[in-house]
Amino acid sequence: MLEEALEHLVKGIVEHPDDVRVRARRIRTGRVLEVRVHPDDLGKVIGRGGRTAKALRTVINALADGKYVRVDLVDLNEAR
Amino acid sequence: MTEAEESVKPAPDVAALEQEGEIAADYVEGLLDIADIDGDIDMDVEGDRAVVSVVGVKGSDLVGPGGEVLEALQELTRLAVHRQTGERSRLMLDIGGYRERRRAELTKIGAAAADDVKRSGEPKALQAMTPFERKIVHDAVAAAGLRSESEGEEPRRFVVVLPA
Repeated sequence: MLEEALEHLVKGIVEHPDDVRVRARRIRTGRVLEVRVHPDDLGKVIGRGGRTAKALRTVINALADGKYVRVDLVDLNEAR
Repeated sequence: MTEAEESVKPAPDVAALEQEGEIAADYVEGLLDIADIDGDIDMDVEGDRAVVSVVGVKGSDLVGPGGEVLEALQELTRLAVHRQTGERSRLMLDIGGYRERRRAELTKIGAAAADDVKRSGEPKALQAMTPFERKIVHDAVAAAGLRSESEGEEPRRFVVVLPA
């Protein structure tokens, strides 16, 4: 549900919604949701001073039922 | 600005504000559906801003401590509106009547601070608040016949009530 919620929140604010991908990974302390966006949209999802990224994390963590969820925002073309 | 210019200030474009409300309601409703949160969405225009309220929600997860989740969701919702209209939005989002309750509390806080300052003759600094909250406090202080200012940097900006 969190992946889907995050995808919805991000798709609504970017210029290239079809390029938004969310992937979930487990880490020891909880989960990581990795959001990939079009390179032109990365600045938009981070926001001035990280404001938008912070807002996304705040909403997702509020829906996470007290479990730790990390939200990473990356460029679609970024190799990992 | 001259008086003439002020008087020709255009009336709020209600159709545009209603459109903002529609976009915002779709965005928020989509989130509620995904998160399986029950609630209805009311739309309204108050003065020069659109207001979208989620009513009938159980629990306060989406409001959060001090309303921080509500502020975050409002911020994202404004961005969603901006993406579709190209215009900066001042839309207000409310969930479970939080803003109404907070407005009543802050009006009391502002009035009480004004009373203190009248008695002591000393300026009084209040807790850090959001811009929405400070506006309500400033209004309450003005209603009590005193002036107030905001000091500090966001998000730690706070109201200072000044003696007459």
